[in-house]
Amino acid sequence: MSENCALRRANVLANHILQSPPHPSNNSLAREACLQYTPPEVNESYGFQVKEMRKLLDGHNLEDRDWLYGIIIQSNLFNRKERGGGKVFVSPDYNETMEQQREISMKRIMYFLENGVFQGWLTETSPEAELKKFALYEVCGMYDYSLSAKLGVHFLLWGNAIKFFGTKRHHEKWLKDTEDYLVKGCFAMTELGHGSNVKGIETVTSYDPRTEEFVINTPCESAQKYWIGEAAIHANHAIVISQLEINETNQGIHVFIAQIRDQDGNICPNIRTADCGHKIGLNGVDNGRIWFDNLRIPRENLLNSVADVSPDGEYVSAIKNPDQRFGAFLAPLTSGRVTIASCAIYSAKVGLAVAIRYSLSRRAFSAVANGPEVLLLDYPSHQRRLLPLLAKTYAMSFAANDMKMMYVKRTPETNKEIHVISMGLKALLTWHNMRTLQECREACGGQGLKTENRVGHLKGDYDVQTTFEGDNNVLMQQVSKSLFAEYVSCKKRNKPFKGLGLEHMNSPRPVLPTQLTSSTLRCSHFQKNVFCLRERDLLERYTCEVAELQERGKSREFSFLLSHQLSEDLSKAFAEKAILQAVLDAEAKLPAGSIKDVMGLVRSMYALICMEEDPSFLRYGYLSRDSVGDVRREVSKLCRELRPHALALVTSFGIPDAFLGPIAFNWIEANAWS
Amino acid sequence: MASETQVLVDDKSSVRILTLNRPKQLNALNSNMITLLMQLFLEYEEDPNVKIVILKGQGRAFCVGGDPLPVFRDIVIQGLGKSWRVGADFFSEQYKLDHFMATYSKVQISILNGIVMGGGAGISVHGRFRIATEKTVFAMPETELGLFPDVGASYFLSRLPGFFGEYVGLTGARLDGAEMLACGLATHFVPSSRLNALEADLCKVGSSDPVTFASAILNAYTKHPKLKQHSAYYRQVLDVIDRCFSRRTMEEIISALEKEATEKPNEWISATIRALKKASPASLKISLRSIREGRFQGVGQCLIQIITTTCLTMQGCRAVVIDKDRNPKWEPRSLEEMKDNMVERYFERVDEEDGWEDLKLSPRKNLPALIIAKL
Repeated sequence: MSENCALRRANVLANHILQSPPHPSNNSLAREACLQYTPPEVNESYGFQVKEMRKLLDGHNLEDRDWLYGIIIQSNLFNRKERGGGKVFVSPDYNETMEQQREISMKRIMYFLENGVFQGWLTETSPEAELKKFALYEVCGMYDYSLSAKLGVHFLLWGNAIKFFGTKRHHEKWLKDTEDYLVKGCFAMTELGHGSNVKGIETVTSYDPRTEEFVINTPCESAQKYWIGEAAIHANHAIVISQLEINETNQGIHVFIAQIRDQDGNICPNIRTADCGHKIGLNGVDNGRIWFDNLRIPRENLLNSVADVSPDGEYVSAIKNPDQRFGAFLAPLTSGRVTIASCAIYSAKVGLAVAIRYSLSRRAFSAVANGPEVLLLDYPSHQRRLLPLLAKTYAMSFAANDMKMMYVKRTPETNKEIHVISMGLKALLTWHNMRTLQECREACGGQGLKTENRVGHLKGDYDVQTTFEGDNNVLMQQVSKSLFAEYVSCKKRNKPFKGLGLEHMNSPRPVLPTQLTSSTLRCSHFQKNVFCLRERDLLERYTCEVAELQERGKSREFSFLLSHQLSEDLSKAFAEKAILQAVLDAEAKLPAGSIKDVMGLVRSMYALICMEEDPSFLRYGYLSRDSVGDVRREVSKLCRELRPHALALVTSFGIPDAFLGPIAFNWIEANAWS
Repeated sequence: MASETQVLVDDKSSVRILTLNRPKQLNALNSNMITLLMQLFLEYEEDPNVKIVILKGQGRAFCVGGDPLPVFRDIVIQGLGKSWRVGADFFSEQYKLDHFMATYSKVQISILNGIVMGGGAGISVHGRFRIATEKTVFAMPETELGLFPDVGASYFLSRLPGFFGEYVGLTGARLDGAEMLACGLATHFVPSSRLNALEADLCKVGSSDPVTFASAILNAYTKHPKLKQHSAYYRQVLDVIDRCFSRRTMEEIISALEKEATEKPNEWISATIRALKKASPASLKISLRSIREGRFQGVGQCLIQIITTTCLTMQGCRAVVIDKDRNPKWEPRSLEEMKDNMVERYFERVDEEDGWEDLKLSPRKNLPALIIAKL
């Protein structure tokens, strides 16, 4: 290292002396003055076992993940490119047309099918099988989110709808064929006029007892099915979500199976489809629109786990309350949210791995005259931009893992909790990903603009995550409403809080110290108290405000709407606390040692950056102005302490080099002439 | 044979020609040869006069790899307790040499005019140029011996096109010179009758840039031999290899091959299935895992992982090489009995309390440019 410094100095001096264009005989000297790429590994050391950290982060099915990474890298279907000294990269070719991207995405899926990637995705139900599915799904999304979105439509929406809403006859007929891609499914729920508000869907289905058929209709243009993934080209069957009208009585939302194309891909009679067109990302997915013109389907095509229609046209349901029936229908969307949230974190990991590796090999400006240029990540400002996002990504990674575990081990008793947590985390994690990608894009400078470097394009591809399977803002309002309901119900029945992490509300309100020393700020007990205090106080304020509005004669729904500011603060407080709890749980399981130490730094960074960023702490007085200043100083200190671990922390993501961009490695050689 | 003559040195101004000289043992590497090679390669890296190092073998082999017999003998004599330590010493020297070659700053040209197996691949494939001839026979036969492809093979096998590396590493399939060239294990193919002339030309390196110079000479000599009639490197066979050897587990690989064999029976596929069924189930699973992990590791990491795995493997599989009755009884006997957690054990870190030390590879100067090995 000292040799390098000396050399660089000599070069700076030489350049200084030779300010006029160098003499031709000094060619060798001029060449020496060029920048040299030094891999971050040369000057950074690992303070902990990255392999062990990766086990914690990925949490499950590491070998399956590596296998899928491997079959992507080794195949020619994935736009494999060699750059800079034989380094191989795989990444979709975004210069292809939308049509080409859709075709190649389907080919990639068929390649996975041949290799048995989807084995058991619908036909096996053990927690192990579900975790394996999650792991493989996450890897697909790191290559190209179009693949995950296509698989999500086929397996998680079409397949799971049959699994959860259907009964034995549907399972036998469809599940195995879906797994083998003998049928290609789509999920026709959202319409031009209704997205988040599923109850308002206008597509209507009636029953004809003479032929024992259902008849599906699109009564007006706003009822056209819109954004239906795979509907423009690939799908030959659709789940249709529609109002069911029996004897002129609307029985609410029901779920049907309709064939929309024949085996050769020709559109069926009484169906019209159109393309949704080019999008800001995810162009490998053929989103389409569907109209139904008196489409007749057999009576058996009603997915009848919740309700059925008898051959002579009588409506039967075990659940009498239409609202509850509606809730039962929407339950499968949970698995979609779980995968969206976990994929978002893997995308953030790609962005951070690229940006941090680049910041450890790229220099800019000298701190002293003629001195060597400074490594980007040695700038405190650059640390402040990237390292808190890194810590948050770590924390959210543990929260996503906990959520997956909770989901695969779900019971009727835990359903509500999973529902609420998955809404909160889906929103927070997808927002975090978008923000992280933007910061990483900027941190890569101009290089971040090139699609080969991944970060920039991920933004376009992952943006949809904040909208689909529940608009983030709507989901967060739901979180607050659920907390409200929980609060009201516990108070009314005078029962202690249980579940949703609200047990702390049974203890006295925590008191925070006025003087915050460094060690207090890093103490997990203190951090947890701060987060609990915020959640508790906001929940009380929110319920109070809603109750006051109701007392003043406003309807319950309208009162919720008016309390949107508190609702926003509360749902964030809830989700951020759930994430902190996940890190604390992960940390508690670790034996003393280097990994536990660095996890402590990561957790403190997560907790303190949340405190620094959320104005609630100051607004509602949980922290004083002085305390907020102390928090800010501590964040800066933590940046310095995490800096030496930056490389090890992103290496622990376990992302193969081929999945990152050329700027994460020797970007000089990758950009050299020839 | 006097130990110093086991590696012959020919001094040709800017070129050093090293000849492995244990022809009766097919130039199997013993610790003396490994030490000698290490000393010589170190010396040449420092010596500004040396531009090119040529490595070849005396007789009908280039090198059949590490000579395991003395090592295994020691293990038996010393008993089980310390067995990994004896192995560790032998293998760590060998892997250090492999790593040194993989990151060598001078031009290494290996002339593979004969048999190349196991450790023989380790001291050649990591180098810049590998010359195959019509006499070359290459194989990684470890799974048949109850071991697994080591010497950084998880690095170079995993980087062969498609899933050819899995095929070569798991079945121990023999490759000839033409196939080595086609898959990239060899960089050039020169008929053996032209080797003397080639060497003579290489010795004229003078003051020119040795990489450019050697490339130009080698390109002038190289031929593009036709693949033999039943080569596994023809597209239709490669497609089968890619379809089957890409599968997630050893069991799935075999059943995919069996399915192909039922649909389109041929000699190649039956031989492939036979080889896999004859191999040690434990070795197959460890090898597969090692190649798959190696795909994401640098050559140094591959070697560090491998020494751990090797030494653990030796404990498990030692009986086989010594009982030379060619009818090995593997433990466990079937793939199903070799559970995932048993494979996992070979890849975990060994506790340092037991006196274990991870392979310490000496830091290499010039590493920045060379951190990616040359394959």
